[in-house]
Amino acid sequence: MAAAEEEIAVKEPLDLIRLSLDERIYVKLRSDRELRGKLHAYDQHLNMILGDVEEVVTTVEIDDETYEEIVRTTKRTIPFLFVRGDGVILVSPPLRTA
Amino acid sequence: MSSGGADKPGSGGGAVKTPSDFLKSIRGRPVVVKLNSGVDYRGILACLDGYMNIAMEQTEEYVNGQLKNKYGDAFIRGNNVLYISTTKRTLADGA
Amino acid sequence: MSQNNPSQLLPSELIDRCIGSKIWVIMKGDKELVGTLCGFDVYVNMVLEDVTEYEYTAEGRRITKLDQILLNGNNIAILVPGGSPPDV
Repeated sequence: MAAAEEEIAVKEPLDLIRLSLDERIYVKLRSDRELRGKLHAYDQHLNMILGDVEEVVTTVEIDDETYEEIVRTTKRTIPFLFVRGDGVILVSPPLRTA
Repeated sequence: MSSGGADKPGSGGGAVKTPSDFLKSIRGRPVVVKLNSGVDYRGILACLDGYMNIAMEQTEEYVNGQLKNKYGDAFIRGNNVLYISTTKRTLADGA
Repeated sequence: MSQNNPSQLLPSELIDRCIGSKIWVIMKGDKELVGTLCGFDVYVNMVLEDVTEYEYTAEGRRITKLDQILLNGNNIAILVPGGSPPDV
């Protein structure tokens, strides 16, 4: 089989991650954390190393007086980080065409 | 260990469908994946593995029945999965 | 072995006898499902058909109808053969 063909095939879910190496990906984590960054490495647990990461943390507070929900998002950038796989909910690679 | 009657073809009158039969039958089909958090993902199932890790296409994320996000491709880590459903039926809100 | 002694009936054999009939699944947390059991595996992941899902939320009970599902065995707490629905 042609190497190129082999590379494109998504036979198991982790292939989707393999195809995203060196691309910017979106990662949804537990406790309302989201990351966008370049995927440098990953393993079968979905531990990941990301670079040039933007982290968004969403918090909901209840106003003491009006009891209204206040949704806050906190953004920060982190040059390089390790994500432990057990916190990962979803990974979405950049849109690819064929 | 029993595997849902697969080792006993007689039981269940031929209608037995084990989890692995189910997984084989749903590739490429529209599915709803519900997570333990209550979030739903609707899309086309590309593939999955024994951990219930899932790769989906044309994925839509629903929180409390409302569309919140769309992803071209999505990988969902299996430990979060409550169920994978084949359905065209719509949600019905109870009282 | 004595087939009539209930203690000799393995839990997995009990579930095996439910194949083709209704079963009521109570999850850890506020979820319950009722459906026809099609099969299961060693983790008690289950394939269910004609499923009704009941979620108990702050806004009340939410009911979802599903054709066929693969239910992750990880969060199952209790199985009730016969599947009497969790009615009001």
